Amino acid sequence: MLWLLVFYIVALVLLLMTSLWQQDVFTAEIVRHWTLSNYDKLFTGQGGLWLRIYGRTVLLATIVTLIDIALAFPLAWFMARIVSPKWRTLMFLAVVVPLWSSILVRIFAWRTILGGQGLLNQFLVDTGLLSHGSSAFLYNDRAIAITWAYVWLPFMILPLFTALEKIPHSYLEASRDLGAGALTTFRRVILPLAFPGVVAGSIFVFSLTMGDFVAPQLVGGGSQVLGGAIKDRFGVAADFPFGAALASLTLVTLVVFLTITRRTGALENV
Amino acid sequence: MKRRSSMKRRAREAALVVVGVVALALFVASCGSSNDNSNTSSVKGPDINAKGEGQLNIVNWEGYTDPSFVKGFEKETGCKVNDTFAGTSDEMFTKFRSGGGGQYDLASFSGDASLRAIKSGTVAQLDMSKLTNWKDLAPQLQSPAFNTQNGKHYGLSFTWGANVLIYNADKIKQNLDSWNVLYDPKYKGKITVPDNPIQIADPALQFFGASDPYSIDPATLDKVKAKLKQQRPLVRKYWVLATDFDQLFKSGDATIGAGWPLMTNDLRKAGMNVKEVIPKEGVTGWSDSWMLSNKAKHPICAYKYMNYTSRPDIQVKIADVTGYSPPNQKACPLLGAQRCNDLHVTDKHYYDTIKYWETPTKPTNYRQWTDAWAEVRG
Repeated sequence: MLWLLVFYIVALVLLLMTSLWQQDVFTAEIVRHWTLSNYDKLFTGQGGLWLRIYGRTVLLATIVTLIDIALAFPLAWFMARIVSPKWRTLMFLAVVVPLWSSILVRIFAWRTILGGQGLLNQFLVDTGLLSHGSSAFLYNDRAIAITWAYVWLPFMILPLFTALEKIPHSYLEASRDLGAGALTTFRRVILPLAFPGVVAGSIFVFSLTMGDFVAPQLVGGGSQVLGGAIKDRFGVAADFPFGAALASLTLVTLVVFLTITRRTGALENV
Repeated sequence: MKRRSSMKRRAREAALVVVGVVALALFVASCGSSNDNSNTSSVKGPDINAKGEGQLNIVNWEGYTDPSFVKGFEKETGCKVNDTFAGTSDEMFTKFRSGGGGQYDLASFSGDASLRAIKSGTVAQLDMSKLTNWKDLAPQLQSPAFNTQNGKHYGLSFTWGANVLIYNADKIKQNLDSWNVLYDPKYKGKITVPDNPIQIADPALQFFGASDPYSIDPATLDKVKAKLKQQRPLVRKYWVLATDFDQLFKSGDATIGAGWPLMTNDLRKAGMNVKEVIPKEGVTGWSDSWMLSNKAKHPICAYKYMNYTSRPDIQVKIADVTGYSPPNQKACPLLGAQRCNDLHVTDKHYYDTIKYWETPTKPTNYRQWTDAWAEVRG
């Protein structure tokens, strides 16, 4: 409890307090003068620039979460219910082992895949689908979404796997005995029982996406995402208080997201 | 009745927790805000002939701690160099100050961060009698305003250079001599420029006639912003680290961009046919100084490194790696007449034509520049 207080609560309170201060632009000294001007800038400054960045990030996070659900579901199902235990261990390792490598390496790998002379372009040119390499795959929001979907995928697969593995086989048999087809069984038996896993995975993926700045910096184009904008307030602009105000926006979003998922009751069984 | 009193107690407990949290937060916040600025007019540096502390922590630009000369330093002095790179001056400044300072012994501040470092009291005054190569530096670099204040030295100049136009000569056949090409739709999707707010100075100087591009008025800042917004859809990628730039060129994703001579060098070493130009509209540049933290834990090693990197033979090695100009004029005999001339080592007139990075303070300040830059990127 004390650790929670020191490492989480105090840090959050500090963050919120900082967002109400100012910073001397020349000496980078924090001026402890209470003001709401950072929030004023956040909501109204520069023609809504900061809210646009926020909106783009929420949209990207939502898309990435949906992609990961779609990709992870069949894979987790296969791992949990179809393969033999021996192969299951191997597949489990295949999902987890990439997490042991540096995230930078995994993102750089996408840079070589998506680049102008990357693997994807080479493939498309070799198969005659494109006459010359396209620059449409790298250094834009699309590239960020693809990279994020890849690096966070294990965080969706693992909770889904756990949820699907727990479904007793007898339920599926009973469903079939009662005349339900595969689709009805999926919709009315499997999906409700797997829902806590989907929610847990979505919490991971959504929050990891909201805060990341590494992938956007490496594979993104000109437009900014929230994580990068926050990082730049600290690393480039020497404006910690405004960075803290932006960070509190992420915080509020995640609290809202968690409240909604709690409302669905999905967290009670996890 | 009983229930109400227990509720009251709970409320009181909650209030106590809140007070405790805020008190703790204030305590944490107050840590690291102490700031002693105790510089006397003359200082006494450490004994540079003494044995070093064994370690040296540096935050610097890429290329300034290259193994080709750091290995020799480590062997010579027994000081192991731990280096960290910065992408922008502010990143360097923030890293240098983090944790109350003292994590890094040395930083390679450019002119846009060096004055801030002095004013914020994070760097120590240097004992010039211990800096053995100082007297051999070009006269304009011995006590320049960006590292010397009121006759007190806070930095040792050790490289300088210009922000240049670089292009892939295999892809672009004609000879370019204007910054206009970075705004030309002909090169759409092939352009790379630095992701750095100080970049605002470039169009201010080159297109809006600001002879001092670091003190521009709000109207000029608006014009620059509009120009950069036009450029934005043409840019393939805003680069952060020098290696980003190199990779963009190597993979063919970019064929033209604004960079440093370091990249020209890197790309030529990698066998690429790149050209480097100082366009006719003029260039911005930087002049870098080693600065010592006033909480440095390894001052002997730091002085040794400053002396080592300003030595003629090592100045040549830095030029080999980075393509930047060495301030030490005794490097010329080692460079040979041709390279000495190409690097403008003794050419004060050339040195004076470059607009060196400074921190914008007025009429528009750096905060306004970073906000404008964020708007350009969108």
